[in-house]
Amino acid sequence: MEEPPLKYFEVYRSIIPRFEDFLMSLQTMQPYWMRVNTLKIEEEKLVGRLEKKGFVLEKFGELNAYKIVEMPVKHPGATIEYSLGYYYIQDLASMAPVLALQPEEGDIILDMAAAPGSKTTMLAELMRNTGVIVANDANFRRLKSLAGNIERLGITNVIIVNRDARTSSFGVKFKKILLDAPCSGEGTFRKNPWGFRGADERGHRYLAEQQKMMMRNAVRHLEDGGILVYSTCTYHPYENEDVVKYAVKELGLKPVEVDIPIPHTEGVKRWGEEEYEMHRECIRIYPHLVDTGGMFIAVLAKK
Amino acid sequence: MQFLQKNEYRNYFVQRFGIPYEIMERYTFWERGRKVWAFSGITLEIERMEILGIKALTKGKALKPSTAFLRVIGKYASKNFVNLEASKALKFLRGEEIELPPTLVKQLEMGYVIVKSDEDILGCGFFDGKLKSLIPSKYRLQDTWV
Ligand SMILES: C[S@@+](CC[C@H](N)C(=O)[O-])C[C@H]1O[C@@H](n2cnc3c(N)ncnc32)[C@H](O)[C@@H]1O
Repeated sequence: MEEPPLKYFEVYRSIIPRFEDFLMSLQTMQPYWMRVNTLKIEEEKLVGRLEKKGFVLEKFGELNAYKIVEMPVKHPGATIEYSLGYYYIQDLASMAPVLALQPEEGDIILDMAAAPGSKTTMLAELMRNTGVIVANDANFRRLKSLAGNIERLGITNVIIVNRDARTSSFGVKFKKILLDAPCSGEGTFRKNPWGFRGADERGHRYLAEQQKMMMRNAVRHLEDGGILVYSTCTYHPYENEDVVKYAVKELGLKPVEVDIPIPHTEGVKRWGEEEYEMHRECIRIYPHLVDTGGMFIAVLAKK
Repeated sequence: MQFLQKNEYRNYFVQRFGIPYEIMERYTFWERGRKVWAFSGITLEIERMEILGIKALTKGKALKPSTAFLRVIGKYASKNFVNLEASKALKFLRGEEIELPPTLVKQLEMGYVIVKSDEDILGCGFFDGKLKSLIPSKYRLQDTWV
């Protein structure tokens, strides 16, 4: 088979640590990860049932997250247990923004770009179906898969809305907001190397503009003292540290240092002419750290 | 269309399935058109909601409970539920009709029932002497599944 198009990533040689390992990881397919839906079943029970059916699973740390090492079916969702809503296929890296937001029972949370709901459903699980999550997405078709996932997992504390996160009002303020922004998706390369598009310089700049608009609108909806998690699944600093810098310098947010139980590095300190003072408070997850996709996360507080 | 709060739908689940009222009190019920939604969250003043919680009932000649919501609360049922052994559970998940032993038949009232198999709540069935599967097609067992 043809080599995957790795040249695209050369521009990141100076910012991605152990770059050769990074490139190597891009040449292997990303494994599936799953999250046990503890709203419906105990972790050990589900793992026992799947193992009996021929799955080989590897638990990650203390999380209810498992790497699927082997499976007896083509797709990890082709089981009765999946249909009953006992687990959700979700990359470990995509669990990180949710952990960074530290959802608690009774929280009032806005998930601004929520479909298909990996993070919404994880928030709801950690909140034990209490509080409320307003889950928004501009794309109506994708909202249907969000609704399907919520229903399958038995999630009952979500309100779904269909708005433009750049400009729309949600009518209320929130204590916690997740802005998992649309991005160039470089961190998902391993899922489909040959279908990967990415973006050019202009594309990254355009996306960054959109992300900044969403950030500005998010801040409008954040209560004083509230917390906002900004995340993307891409590497380009324009879409990451640059958006965070804008939130700090222009919108008055304060970067907060949080620890998450998933291996990561800090953010990028410098890109071209740009310096990012808050790089220490940023979190980057790369595929060569624990065999996942890529992710960027920053936690910001409204003073 | 607006969602109208109608918590009296709690009573349906208490009366039909013997689910304790305290469990049903976790949910507020919201009617929109022919559908009724169950919501366990804090109510917010939000306009143009697409979905509020999980679909619980469809109004028709009789109220029809949804498989998705029965999967959430079914474990608390004390009547009008059937516990199927594994091979019958698979048939039920395929959407097939099930013959029930007379001992089970005696315990059931005609109409909608909760179908379980051990700890799994499989979903909604209709009992009229036989047990019909009302599992929505998206949840039906496929040949390629394990
Ligand atoms: C990275 S994906 C979100 C993934 C989701 N948070 C999850 O964990 O499953 C970004 C989402 O942003 C949505 N989106 C794009 N532009 C938007 C806009 N202007 N307003 C709201 N959502 C938007 C896309 O439809 C897409 O579903």
